[in-house]
Amino acid sequence: MTKVRRQPVAISIPDRRDAALTLGPALLVFAFGFLSPLINLAIESLKEFTPGRVGSVENAAATVQNYYELANQAFASVLLTTFWIGGVAAIIGQLVAFPLAYFIVRRISPRMRTLTLGFLITLVLSSVLIKTYAIELTFGSVGIFRPFLLTLGLSPNSREYINIVVIAGLVHSIIPVATLTLIGAMQSIDPRLLDAAQSLGAPGWKAHLSITLPLSFPALISSTLVSLTFAISAFVIPMVLGRGRVLFMSNVIYTRFSDIANYPSGAAISLVMLAVALAVVAVITFAQARRVSR
Amino acid sequence: MNIQSLAARTGDRIAGSLAYGVIGLGLAFLAIPLVITCVMAFDARTYLGPMPPPALSLHWFERLVSQADILTSLRTSLILAVFTTVLSVTIGTAAAVGLARGNFPGKAALTSAFLSPLIVPPVVIGFGLLLFLSKAGITNGMARLLLGHVIVTLPYCIRTSLASLLGSDQRLTEAAMVLGATERQAFWTITLPLMRTGVVTGAIFAFAISMDDVSISLFLSDPSATTLPVTLVSNMRAAFDLTIAAAAVVLIAVTALLIVVLDRVVGFDTVVGQGLFRS
Repeated sequence: MTKVRRQPVAISIPDRRDAALTLGPALLVFAFGFLSPLINLAIESLKEFTPGRVGSVENAAATVQNYYELANQAFASVLLTTFWIGGVAAIIGQLVAFPLAYFIVRRISPRMRTLTLGFLITLVLSSVLIKTYAIELTFGSVGIFRPFLLTLGLSPNSREYINIVVIAGLVHSIIPVATLTLIGAMQSIDPRLLDAAQSLGAPGWKAHLSITLPLSFPALISSTLVSLTFAISAFVIPMVLGRGRVLFMSNVIYTRFSDIANYPSGAAISLVMLAVALAVVAVITFAQARRVSR
Repeated sequence: MNIQSLAARTGDRIAGSLAYGVIGLGLAFLAIPLVITCVMAFDARTYLGPMPPPALSLHWFERLVSQADILTSLRTSLILAVFTTVLSVTIGTAAAVGLARGNFPGKAALTSAFLSPLIVPPVVIGFGLLLFLSKAGITNGMARLLLGHVIVTLPYCIRTSLASLLGSDQRLTEAAMVLGATERQAFWTITLPLMRTGVVTGAIFAFAISMDDVSISLFLSDPSATTLPVTLVSNMRAAFDLTIAAAAVVLIAVTALLIVVLDRVVGFDTVVGQGLFRS
């Protein structure tokens, strides 16, 4: 089945006025509210820091000092924390989302399917704040999981305990999104392939390992990377659950803004973060392009 | 029965129960914190005590609605979300029509440019907007927040509208025009109704995102205009009590309502099928 034509021939926008009318407002908002602030951010990041004002001084000397200062131990550890906590959360998320997606696609009645999907979509759309608060209430000083974590020998004020709570917070947001992403891919796997493998004598787990997993592998990779992008740009979750001891890149930007008002440095971190996000997205795009070409 | 198939069956049983265990634990992990929050919101104690509450009461809700800053910021959030939704949907739908119908070079590039705010970390957008708007001399808190929220919701509206426009049959519009409708009539009576699902989905997303956003609003809020999530975050950092649980119950109820609307108007399978979830 091919689409007859993508470009309508009979109707097309007849003149530039209509194009300006339809695309103009969006272009305006995009240029003024997104592009200009980003360009300004890049310029700001090269300005010398003068304490005590919003933005740099007019005609401040251009400097790479703000970036140079980031090449220290403290920022490197923030970068590392962001990546390893985010990475662990992304992987745990996939470990749960993968079987869950399969279960929803193949093993569930339509009614239960709607119910489970509704639950997952509710989680996606509900506030990060609520989920963060709920996690804090569950794992915090009165939480029902606290005794469980304590029996594992974790002191509630230890770094490990806080790390686990932050990971739990991220995983709670990652599972629903990853599941919904993987469902799409699982739906396009022909169930007869699995039946064929099993009728030829493969045990169920082996059939899944050699059919379901490889066929959904590209989707699994991009779902992992999307989860990772989400995790490394997380803000509220590490801010509230990290209790100031686990800092992500976005938390440092906020601190630069709210505590010491060092805007040029905040701008430099923002650009580093932007570069990291773009790099991850580039990998996703590459993975998807390979998936299409296969 | 030979040993090999016995081993295979045992392997299956182990793998199967492992998978079901993971699924059960995962769903429990997703649901339990929310259930705890909802139960604790009705706790009759005046302090934050362990589960389960000995008695139930509505006093945290009473405290919630007696707090002036929460009510003010709730009003701000609602007004902001309504304006954001209207603006985003209008601009986004128009842009989607332009992108679908227009025949100009660089169309693909423009489409991905319009969607690009989705991949930029929200904190970076918030911080960038703060610096830029301060330089541009725009100090009105509501105006700043509105611009920030439109920037992050617009991509969703464009994406959902564009998807439903490309998914609907172009020939219906052509037919209307062949039968004598003017371009404007064809748009209002044929094209726009065909885009309905996408427009509604976009509107629900815009409203939900605007109501929930913290990362951008925290930078752009000022004393004259503070959104509910920003107030809740600062309350959460100052004193961790159960008024926030009460607020959470209210917000969960609102979200659940939006979800029911989404299911009735659009259907979950459409949402999942289009795969429009970013983060």
